[in-house]
Amino acid sequence: MPRSIVLSCLLTLVATGSAFSQDMPLSDVLIPGEGWELVSEGHKFTEGPAADADGLVYFVDVPNSKIFRIEADGQVTTVDENAERTSGLSFSSGGKLYACRNGGKKVVVYPDPKNDPAQVKVLAEDVTVNDLVADRAGGVYFTDPKNSRVVYVDPGQRLHVVAENLNPNGITLWSDYGTLVVTEGTEQWLWAFRVEPGGLLSGRGPYYSVVQIPSGEEKTRADGMAVDDDGRLYLASAAGLQVFDNTGRYSGTILKPQDAFLSNVIFGGPKFDTLYVTCQDKVYKRKVQPTGRPAWLPK
Amino acid sequence: MKISRALWAQLLVLPVLVSLAHAADDYQLGPDSQPKEGVPKGELTKHEWKTSEVYPGTVRDYWVYVPAQYDGEKPACVMVFQDGWSYCNPKGQVQATNVFDNLIASGEMPVTIGIFINPGVIPPAKSGQNPRKNRSLEYDTLSDDYARFLIDEILPEVGKSYKLTDDPNCRAICGASSGGICAWTVAWERPDAFRKVSSHIGSYTNIRGGHVYPAIIRKTENKPIRVHLQDGENDLDNLHGNWPLSNQQMAAALKFKDYDYKFVFGDGAHNRKHAGAIFPDEMRWLWRGWKNEGKSEKAAE
Repeated sequence: MPRSIVLSCLLTLVATGSAFSQDMPLSDVLIPGEGWELVSEGHKFTEGPAADADGLVYFVDVPNSKIFRIEADGQVTTVDENAERTSGLSFSSGGKLYACRNGGKKVVVYPDPKNDPAQVKVLAEDVTVNDLVADRAGGVYFTDPKNSRVVYVDPGQRLHVVAENLNPNGITLWSDYGTLVVTEGTEQWLWAFRVEPGGLLSGRGPYYSVVQIPSGEEKTRADGMAVDDDGRLYLASAAGLQVFDNTGRYSGTILKPQDAFLSNVIFGGPKFDTLYVTCQDKVYKRKVQPTGRPAWLPK
Repeated sequence: MKISRALWAQLLVLPVLVSLAHAADDYQLGPDSQPKEGVPKGELTKHEWKTSEVYPGTVRDYWVYVPAQYDGEKPACVMVFQDGWSYCNPKGQVQATNVFDNLIASGEMPVTIGIFINPGVIPPAKSGQNPRKNRSLEYDTLSDDYARFLIDEILPEVGKSYKLTDDPNCRAICGASSGGICAWTVAWERPDAFRKVSSHIGSYTNIRGGHVYPAIIRKTENKPIRVHLQDGENDLDNLHGNWPLSNQQMAAALKFKDYDYKFVFGDGAHNRKHAGAIFPDEMRWLWRGWKNEGKSEKAAE
C-alpha cells in the first residue's frame, strides 16, 4: 500500500477511532479444527503450569506433592517427588523456577530445575501461599488467601505486604512487568495494580470485567492466568477459559476440556503457540493463533 | 422504443449522481458548527486531573469551555463530555465549542460551561512499559462510579473557578460509543445530578454488560431523564453486539416507557460525523424550554 494511503488511514484512525479500541474476538485466537488434546492424566489435582525457555511445561499435582515436566516427545517426567504440596510455579530469567509450597509454608527457587532439580533454595518461610509469579528483578509475588493479602519477596528476600483486603487466588504479570493482575474466586472482576520500582503496588482497579459465572455456579472460581504477546489475558474459571482484551474487556470463553475444575493456564511448546491447562486430574493442550512468549526470554 | 444516445447517457450518469449525493456517512458540519462573525467566542482552557480517588492512579487531561456570556454571578449550566478532546478539538468531527458559541448567543441554549474530559490512563512506572487504559472500565461499567467521579471530583474542582449550577435539569452529559453508554449510565444512576443525555453511536452492547439497558428501562419506574440518541445503519456489528440493533432497542424501550427522548438513525458508521452534523439541532432539542425549566420546577414544588 502506498505510504500516503497508510498515513491517511492512520490519521483517520487517530481522528475517529483512537478511543474505540481494537476488538479481539475468539476467532483471532482459535484455530478451526484444533481442539483440546490430553497430555497427562491420573493425577489428583493439577495446578501451577509454567513454561521454561524451550517451551517445556512444568506442572504440579498438589495433593501428591509432585512437580512434573512434559518433555518434547510428550513423555511426562517427575522433577520433584517431595514438593510439599506445591500449588504454584513461575519461571524467571536464567531459567530459575520459583515455587510456593503450601504444605511446607515456603517460597523456594530451583536455580536449574532441568539439570539439577535437587538443588532448592528457600526464599521465604512460615508463610501461607496459594500461587506466585516472579518478576524481572528476581523478586516474587505470592497470594496469601488465608491472610487476605498479596506479599512481595524482594530480591534480598525481604517480605512486603503489597495488597490487602482481598481474597487472592491466581496471580500474573503483564509481559512488560508493569502491571500485576490478581484474581479472586468470588468477584466478577480481576484486580490490576501498577508495579512501582522496588516492587510495591499502586493504582488498584477492577480492570478486567465482567468475569462470567456459568449456570449452576454461584461464583466465578477465577483462578490462574496467562497473557499472550498481543496483551490478551486468559483466565481459568468455572465457565471455562475466559479471554479478556488489553483494555480489560471480556472477549469470550474457550470451553473447558472436561467438566471438571479448571485451575490454571500457560503458553508452551517450542513456539509458545500452545495453551496448556490444568483441569482437575488431567492436563490438556491446544494450539492457538497467538503466541505467549515468556517475558524473561531474550527478544 | 428507441432510446437516444443522450438519454442512455443520462440513465447511466443519474445513478452515479444520486449515489454521490447520498453516499453513506457523508455528513458535513453546517454553519452552526463554524465560527460566525459577530458571535463572541468562549474560552477553552486545558487542565489535568491526577488525584482521582474513584480511579486511583489515573491521570487525564480535561478542557473547560467558558462562554463569553458567563458573568461570574449567575450559576452556569454544565455539560460534560466523555473523550473530551474529540468533542472540543477545533478540527474535530463535532466542534462543540463553536456550536455552544452560536447557540448561546442566539438564546437557544443557556449559558453553559462545557467540561471535556479524556478517559484516565494509569501511566507505567518505567519507560518501555505499557500504560493501563482505563477508558473501558470508566465508560462501560454499569455502576455509579463514573457519576461519583464527576460529582465528587471534577465538578467541585471546576466549581472552584466558576459558579456551576446544582440544578440537575441544567446538567447534561454527552459521549460517543462507550462514552455514549457512559452518559446514559451517569444519568440513570444519578438523575439527582444529571438529567440530560446526548448519546452518539452508544455502546448499548455487551462490552461490560450494557446490553441489558433496554430490558431494565422497560421494567423500571421512569426516571426524570431527557435523552437524545444517534446511531447509523453502518455502525459496528462485532463480538460485543450489533450497534444499530442495540440503539433501536434503546429507542424502542424509551418509546415504550414514554420517555422524553429523540432517536436520530442515519447511515453513518462508528464515528462522530453524523453526530457532528446534527449536534446543533440536538442541542436545540436537548435544551429546549431551558428558560422555563427552573421556573416550572419551582412552580411544581
